[in-house]
Amino acid sequence: MSNILEISNLSKHFGGLTAVSALDLTLAKGEILALIGPNGAGKSTVFNMVAGVYAPSEGDIRFNGRPVHREKPWDRCRMGIARTFQIVKPFASKTVLYNVMVGAYLRTNSTEKARHKAEEVLATLALDHLRDRPAANLTIADRKRLEIAKALATDPQLLLLDEVMAGLRPTEVDDMIAIIKGLRDQGVTVFVIEHIMRAVMALSDRVVVIHFGQKIAQGTPEEVTRDENVIKAYLGGEYGAA
Amino acid sequence: MSRKQLDHTLLGLVGLIVFALPLVVTSPTYLQILILLFFYAYLTTSWNLVGGFAGVLPLGHSVFVGIGAYTSTILTLQYGISPWIGMLVGGLVAALVGVIMGLPTFRLRGAYFCLCTIAFAEGIRVMVENIDNLGPLHINGPRGLLIPLKEPSFWHYQFMSKLPYYYIILVMLILVLALTWFISRSKIGYYLAAGGEEPEAAAALGVNVANTKLFAMALSCFLTALAGTFYAQLMLYFYPKGLMGLDLSFEIAFIALIGGRGTIAGPVIGALVLRPLNEFTRIYLSDMLPGLHLVIFGLILILVMLYKPQGLTAPLSAFYNRLADRLTGQGGAK
Amino acid sequence: MTAVIQATLNGIMMGSMYGLTALGLTLIFGVMKVVNFAHGSLLMVGMFSGYWLIRLTGIHPYLALVIIPPILFVFGYFLQDVVIKPVFRAERHVREPSTVIIVTTGLWYMLDNLALMCFGAEYRTVRTAISNKSFALGQYIVSIPKFSGFVVAVLTAVGLALFMRKTKTGMALRATSLDREAANLMGIDQYKVYNIAFGLGTAIAGIAGCVLIPFYYVYPTVGVVFDIRAFIIVVLGGLGSIPGALLGGLVIGLVESVFSQFMASTWTEAIIYAIFLVILFVKPSGFFGHKQDW
Repeated sequence: MSNILEISNLSKHFGGLTAVSALDLTLAKGEILALIGPNGAGKSTVFNMVAGVYAPSEGDIRFNGRPVHREKPWDRCRMGIARTFQIVKPFASKTVLYNVMVGAYLRTNSTEKARHKAEEVLATLALDHLRDRPAANLTIADRKRLEIAKALATDPQLLLLDEVMAGLRPTEVDDMIAIIKGLRDQGVTVFVIEHIMRAVMALSDRVVVIHFGQKIAQGTPEEVTRDENVIKAYLGGEYGAA
Repeated sequence: MSRKQLDHTLLGLVGLIVFALPLVVTSPTYLQILILLFFYAYLTTSWNLVGGFAGVLPLGHSVFVGIGAYTSTILTLQYGISPWIGMLVGGLVAALVGVIMGLPTFRLRGAYFCLCTIAFAEGIRVMVENIDNLGPLHINGPRGLLIPLKEPSFWHYQFMSKLPYYYIILVMLILVLALTWFISRSKIGYYLAAGGEEPEAAAALGVNVANTKLFAMALSCFLTALAGTFYAQLMLYFYPKGLMGLDLSFEIAFIALIGGRGTIAGPVIGALVLRPLNEFTRIYLSDMLPGLHLVIFGLILILVMLYKPQGLTAPLSAFYNRLADRLTGQGGAK
Repeated sequence: MTAVIQATLNGIMMGSMYGLTALGLTLIFGVMKVVNFAHGSLLMVGMFSGYWLIRLTGIHPYLALVIIPPILFVFGYFLQDVVIKPVFRAERHVREPSTVIIVTTGLWYMLDNLALMCFGAEYRTVRTAISNKSFALGQYIVSIPKFSGFVVAVLTAVGLALFMRKTKTGMALRATSLDREAANLMGIDQYKVYNIAFGLGTAIAGIAGCVLIPFYYVYPTVGVVFDIRAFIIVVLGGLGSIPGALLGGLVIGLVESVFSQFMASTWTEAIIYAIFLVILFVKPSGFFGHKQDW
């Protein structure tokens, strides 16, 4: 099984603050990997470096074996890395269809083909009944789906999902879990940041835990939740000895 | 009749009227007013490609009008090249200057971008005013350039009556509107809108925002310069302060803003409302109250920005939509 | 050489007054993060008010300095409250509020042309108690109105800095400029702060206008030149920096004065624009600005 993403010795310093420190991580094709950790652990920084928003201070990132840490975000998208934003960024003044078409245009120059692709993606995410609604008028759950739809329309190999469950009700979380599993069935490798543990347990093949920018555990969801270091990090020192 | 049929019929009707207007309006003075109206509508529509679709606010666009006028006129006066060819050369020069201007400035925040466009434009204007000769090119500084009368012909881009000028600018306007309409429905249009509204999200979807903005800038500057040549051939005289000054730049931007930037009809509607207002206030009231037309202009701008920042096109097109739906019996379902 | 030193002296004095204009602008720019394109017109309003006051009552220009700025404070406060605040409110979630720029440009148009309508386009001067007076500094001549302008500019800058640091209102202004949401949560009414900032900035423009009257022509579009200079200085000195505004003003004043010994004054105009563009591309935060202003 080949690795779609290889991160080695990745570090990021902001002035005197080290947000990420010597991180090693691999993601195999077709996996669903979850990156978890307490608030401020550095998870979004890792995502931003994979997506190209930040340049790493040290280390490198390889996508399908190719080093990408110098590529711009739009070039990485072209190569097959798509992402969503934790605080969703829809093109609010435009319709849902328009939003997704922007993504679809990546692989075609024809308006007709882009529209067709966008409609397909909307159907996959059960958003097609909202295609003509302005994005500003969507509920938070639908906005999160739109965020995924936009990214999906670019035909990615690797999809970075940044806390897509945040703010969703339990039934909506279940729907989202099904959608993400469906994405994997379509051949997309998924890398998620998530706080909602139920989703993490249900979705991920493997989990990586970081704390203060450093990896403190990795393994299957079951292994990780029993790991002493992880429990200490989330709940405090007194809970460590088990 | 379906909604689409109604829209097309009305469009056709308007086109017919506009083309047939000179049959009814024969006075050269009024033809001139109409010509200038189309001229401004053309300039504002070209500006709209950057100021509306790309989401930035260039406030120094008149400098490209000047580049077009100076390029074609110098080529005609000194090298005998037909203004039509000079016009295209002027367009290319303007596009080049526009890209050079845009490369470092598009990454600046909104207000700084505006200041930069003003600084660039004024800088170039000041230089043109100071230079009499640039190598072999005779620029004539603040006095401007005068085009001597020639045998009226298409090739010389000079005509006896106003009529050919009327049709030239009308065709240019229609072409530029069609181009804008086409772009808004194409990949580049979507990319421009996305990059203008949420640049980070657009970049994450594969949009090279800076490049699309540069493309819009190059296109806009090219088209703007063409109008510069038109003006030069219409008036046969121009000078830096008049053609490359901030007054013209601001007027272009304001018309688009009041009409509705980012829409296709906005610039035209803005020009339709404001140009006659400007002209008539200036003609009739300027002696008693100099500058009144600009006070009114400023007041309208402020009022529109306070109450209808999207421009006048928004309420007008809502009204038209309701009317059209009523006429075609399709009221209700939206 | 003598000419150059004389030019340097003049440049420093004139530059300090440019800096004074920029002071008002950097305050507005720094606190509200808003471009006030009408700032030059406010200067013009200050100049015309002072002009008419002196012309009709014959009072000493220093006295006008006490009367005009408070009036302009009220004017600025009112403008911000009535015209600009509604736009601000409507755009508060927009990342790049551009409508304010447009509205202030409309204000610029209106004010300049109202002045044109009411007073005509002529260049006016008025005899004051200090016009045309000067004193000697060795072999150099120092014009008294310009020197007073220099002194007033420095005093105003120091006064403003003390106000911002030591008074409660001043600290509220600084807090809002750093983080308006946090300031809001601390009980600071941000719109009141904006009104005060705008009023204060306008009052400073009024001070600048008054010191210019004794030796500068008064005409409706006088503000335009100062406006563009002021923006260049604000960028040069750094958004919201008081010493930056003064320093930037001095630089511009010096460049203008010294270079025009060697070339036509219209070329110095182009050079100033060139400096502006270079700063924007090389170090946009200017002398004392912060990187995060971008």
